[in-house]
Amino acid sequence: MNRLHPRVRVVWAVQAATTAVVVGLVVFAVSRFAIALPVWAPVAAFAVFLVAGVGLALLRYRVWRYEVRDDALYLERGVFTRVRTVVPFVRIQHVDSSRGPVERLVGLASTVVYTAGSRGADVMVPGLTPDGADDLRERLKRLAIRAEGEDAV
Amino acid sequence: MSRTLSSLSPAYRVVERGGSIVFTALILFSGASAAFGPAGGLVGVVLVGLALLALIAYEVAYFRRFEYDLGADTLDIRSGVISRRNREIPIRRVQNVDISRNVVQRFLGIAAVDFETAGGSETEASLRFVDFEEAKRLQREIGRLKRGVEGSEEGEPEPPADELFALTSRELALVGALSFDVRIPGLLFVLVSGSLPAVSSVVPTGSGTAIVALGLVAVALVVLLVSWVAGATAAVLNYYGFRLTQVEDELQYERGLLRRYDGSIPLDKVQTLTVVDDPLKRYFGFASLRIETAGYAPGSGESGSEAAVPLARRDRVFGLANRIESFGTPDFHRPPKRVRRRYAVRYLLALGALTVLLYGVEAVTAGALPWPPYAPVPLALLAPVAAHFKWRHRGYWLGERHFVTRNGFLRRRVKVVPYYRIQTVIDSRTIFQRRWNVATVTADTAGSLSLVGSDAAAVDVADADADDLRATLATRLRESLAARRGWTDAAAAEAPVPGDDNDDPVDGADDSEADDTNHGAA
Repeated sequence: MNRLHPRVRVVWAVQAATTAVVVGLVVFAVSRFAIALPVWAPVAAFAVFLVAGVGLALLRYRVWRYEVRDDALYLERGVFTRVRTVVPFVRIQHVDSSRGPVERLVGLASTVVYTAGSRGADVMVPGLTPDGADDLRERLKRLAIRAEGEDAV
Repeated sequence: MSRTLSSLSPAYRVVERGGSIVFTALILFSGASAAFGPAGGLVGVVLVGLALLALIAYEVAYFRRFEYDLGADTLDIRSGVISRRNREIPIRRVQNVDISRNVVQRFLGIAAVDFETAGGSETEASLRFVDFEEAKRLQREIGRLKRGVEGSEEGEPEPPADELFALTSRELALVGALSFDVRIPGLLFVLVSGSLPAVSSVVPTGSGTAIVALGLVAVALVVLLVSWVAGATAAVLNYYGFRLTQVEDELQYERGLLRRYDGSIPLDKVQTLTVVDDPLKRYFGFASLRIETAGYAPGSGESGSEAAVPLARRDRVFGLANRIESFGTPDFHRPPKRVRRRYAVRYLLALGALTVLLYGVEAVTAGALPWPPYAPVPLALLAPVAAHFKWRHRGYWLGERHFVTRNGFLRRRVKVVPYYRIQTVIDSRTIFQRRWNVATVTADTAGSLSLVGSDAAAVDVADADADDLRATLATRLRESLAARRGWTDAAAAEAPVPGDDNDDPVDGADDSEADDTNHGAA
């Protein structure tokens, strides 16, 4: 079972910080224009969301596992709801590797696997090195083609 | 050869859309003329006239610029007045062809045709409107082209239509009678009892409890009657003249009293079958059947394109389902008995939360509630019973070629998923489920009705079983897909349907069943 790159915690933490800033601003706007809240309310909201978000990011990193098995991609994740997903290679429609702005800053990338399913429709493996993401994409692509093509017409 | 829409279609579309324009304009401009005097009204009339002219011009242009062409391999549609769009849909990828006509359209002899493929979140192509005969021809032709029949479209004998199911008028009456939605009276009850204080202030104070009680009973009866009549009317309008036939390897259905639906479903695109019943239907031994394909956009499921047998005797429903997917008679494994305690606890918690909420409301509104805030507490006695029933009606079964799940007491769904239709297998355990050592294993398919969380799921199975189930489902998917696509030796003996696409990721491939392959081994 592979774990994610440790630096993915930074990506998630930055995302959590962004959310916390937005929440803080919203609370600030509310206290400014609608209801008079204590002066420290926006800061408190920011702090709570930041701590919770960073905590979740750390826990999420500890739980996340993935594995390329013989015939399927296997993922394990989720802090509160533990989710294990099996994505058979035959079902892979296409594979992307992608890099968001924060991921580019810290030098990471993700691989996204698409199936035709209605809810597991996009399965994402975050926290890979750019080369690792490209390798995984290539590998999944080859495996998908092989699974699809085994002596088929 | 390109074809155009029916020549009646621009006129119909103008009336359809113009009506709403005039209506909104009337409301807007009656306000304007009140503000600006008669001059304002005059300006309004001129503006509406211009808008109508523009609409007519647009609809005529739309009609003149709309062309479609059913070729041997693709359906080409060239359309658009301002931005043009040329769309080609490979005929093999068309999942459903649906025709619908409302009363006016039936009188005019025109119909709306929708083509659905598995991709995308909306209907891929729709013709608004063509002659009904032309609509039927398109539906027939697409079915024929998909079967790979060569030759001219004219003069060929119609393939025999095999009637699978027709709703007799007695059954239609039963559909109406049993379409009682248990949720409606509950909802109405809450609404009505919320307005009780208002009512009781109208009733003279000295009239005594007997009259009030009588009034309550009367209100309850009316509520029941109204919701029953509403359900019955909707069901009868929807399912009047329901017929399901099989033409070669395609299912065709028609139904509807005011708006008539006419659709086709290729058998090899069927993703899941769902048998639905509720306590009332179970008591009388009835059930209904839904057939899901990957074609429909989320949310359009209830709107009419979905094929379903509204009501039939249980054995008949299972017989029909078995004819479409032969899964046999399921023998369900129930979740471990300990989950009953979990459900009871859950109900009690919900009840507790409700009571706390009521106390809160009571405190805020200073006693405006019609009943005391502890009124729901006696319901706690029902929690173990409800938990038991919830547990009883839950289960899963691994068949020879199908995964079957059962969930729900008030609205029980038995879902049948062929192994080769499974897309991904998802095992999820919430923080509460982990406390009880149970898990939910979901077999995700490409059927899009499943979006609302009604995927085939084995809910609350024991941890170890969930691990097994996850592995088994993935293995059986691979084996049964291999057998179906002729990758194994056993299936290789059977000739695949010529020209069928073996690489289709969504609908599997041909329909040659490899009956003799031993993929039942765990």
